[in-house]
Amino acid sequence: MKKYFLIGTAFFCLLGCILVCQTITYNDKKLHVVICDVGQGDAIFMRTPSGSDILIDGGPDDAVLGCLGKHMPFWDKTIELIMLTHPHADHLTGLIDVVKRYKVLAFGYEKIGNPTGAYKKLIDELEQNHVKQIFLWQGDQFLLQDGVIFKTLWPTKEWFDQNSISETSSDANDFSMIELLTYNHFKALFTGDAQAQAMEKIDSTTGRIDVLKVPHHGSQTGLTSEILDILNPKLAAISVGAKNKYGLPTTFILDLLKSKNIKTLRTDQRGDIEIISDGKSWKVN
Amino acid sequence: MNSKLLVLLLLILSFRFYLFYSNRYQFSDGEKVDFQAMILSSPQTIGSQQSFTANYKNQKIRVTTNGFPEVNYGDSVRISGKISNRNNGLLIYFPKMEIVNGSANVFQASLGGINILREKLISLFSKTLPAPFSSLLLGIIFGIKEQMPKDFSNNLRTVGVFHVIAASGMNVTLIGGFISAFFVLFFKRQVAIGLSILAIIFYALLAGLEPSIVRASVMGILVFSAQIMGRQTLAENSLFLAGFGMLFLDPSLISDVGFQLSFAATLGILYLKPLFGKKEGVVAEVSTTITAQIATLPILLANFGTYSVYSILVNGLVLWTVPILMMIGGAGAILGLILMPLGQILIYLCYPLLLYFESVVNIFGNLGGVLTISSFPWQFAAGYYCLLISTLIFLKRK
Repeated sequence: MKKYFLIGTAFFCLLGCILVCQTITYNDKKLHVVICDVGQGDAIFMRTPSGSDILIDGGPDDAVLGCLGKHMPFWDKTIELIMLTHPHADHLTGLIDVVKRYKVLAFGYEKIGNPTGAYKKLIDELEQNHVKQIFLWQGDQFLLQDGVIFKTLWPTKEWFDQNSISETSSDANDFSMIELLTYNHFKALFTGDAQAQAMEKIDSTTGRIDVLKVPHHGSQTGLTSEILDILNPKLAAISVGAKNKYGLPTTFILDLLKSKNIKTLRTDQRGDIEIISDGKSWKVN
Repeated sequence: MNSKLLVLLLLILSFRFYLFYSNRYQFSDGEKVDFQAMILSSPQTIGSQQSFTANYKNQKIRVTTNGFPEVNYGDSVRISGKISNRNNGLLIYFPKMEIVNGSANVFQASLGGINILREKLISLFSKTLPAPFSSLLLGIIFGIKEQMPKDFSNNLRTVGVFHVIAASGMNVTLIGGFISAFFVLFFKRQVAIGLSILAIIFYALLAGLEPSIVRASVMGILVFSAQIMGRQTLAENSLFLAGFGMLFLDPSLISDVGFQLSFAATLGILYLKPLFGKKEGVVAEVSTTITAQIATLPILLANFGTYSVYSILVNGLVLWTVPILMMIGGAGAILGLILMPLGQILIYLCYPLLLYFESVVNIFGNLGGVLTISSFPWQFAAGYYCLLISTLIFLKRK
């Protein structure tokens, strides 16, 4: 019996050490942006200086859970906000598992659905878990107490009302939400699967940014030379699966980024891409 | 066992084999089928696909479909699609499938009940710990290997400790060994046998009632009961009788990897483990694992084609945590179903060990060192077993 008591005490001691360790590492009062390596799809996780957890898209499967596990302390099972840029399987399917396993406080998405099994399942899970659902339009903002701001840049309500969407086509990409993250001097732009025509309409308000999540996994239709000139990012991150069947990212986009001397990182080559900022400067971890 | 009886049993078995294989319906490649079947074992989710086994014309067909609609075990499904008959197995890829529940019988209802309990356990663990720790713990305790992140499960496979979480025959055999050894420390033999049988049945149900688990459970219950009674020969006889009964009922099992694994692993534990002498506690668990590995190595190599050079080292580094994790985590699961926060505390207590387990697996997984065996000649397996058996006989004589 004494033996078991000793072992039990040793475990409590270890657990205590880990608690202290993780509290220090995960609460460093800095903003962490992680472009998760989820294969062919998108999932971006952010932990703000005060420890709020925010997720944009969930990738094509449960790989996103591994990313969350790595970048959150083990006892933190709350995600303050999830945003879904558009309801395509490579962005939403992983969210089903996230909603099942984490307490999610708010879910922001746009007013387009589709009849796929995965989308229905996601909405079912949101309802079952009583997650607050919010439709987002251009101009909507989330202001966090630690100074982090999320601003929706696209789509506008007018444009949305004028353009109808046929339920199954890839048109949903035109509707893809574009989100701007600001933390003091640090700016990052998350573009989902947005197309160049949408990117052109938003950039005047944005100014220059530090980090650009390249739209649509580096597809040809996402960026133009003019857009890059205006945004002038220092780092471009491409979320893409190794040897994907679509041939992404395209050489057109890679060459374009190279010609502008923009440092480019890809999840298929690097795994998770983590960017850390204190609001003044930033670095890639 | 009496040698005359053995010859008689073997004769009966070969006659049964002859009848079975000469009368079997042959599916042709590309044959269109339309049938209804009940899902009797837990479907597996791999990425955005799910796959399960359905019985049709007395043969098992592996069905792979899209992830939605989700099927659970106990569901009846109507499947229409094309059979592909390759690699010694019948497969149907992406058939038209609908779930036709409605005429639920008692059996289905009880399966449904187990499924709810299973879902509750998954939810308890995955709401307490992040991935991959929650899945690792679920895998270790219950053999539930759903929701294991792909890269981590690849690493588990690479370093050769996948058996810890796979709900395979070998897993049940090991767990049966742990459980019976554990209970016998605290209870009278008769009580220990009763508890072990209950625990193994419960475990098999939770693990998803894969046919391989059911078979291994039957074998395990017989053999471990006999061992607790202290009758080595009884244990041996019951293993052979269990094997005989199963093969008699379903001769196609002889080519089933799960059957081969659980039979060989149990044999290994029965015959090889006594060579290590009587050990207790963690040492006993480790020797159980090692003997099972020795006995199953050629089967693993022939069917999975890879073997990590670090396998034995990694097994040695992590396996001692398994019984501890099973005890604390198992207690956490039971308490958590009654009062969630109480169970969560115990599950948190598993975290340091899980972190250690995960780090070891990932470090060695990223090191590589994997031998890939593209073709595994049967002569090698035969030679291996000849050597093993002769060594065994030699050592026993001394």
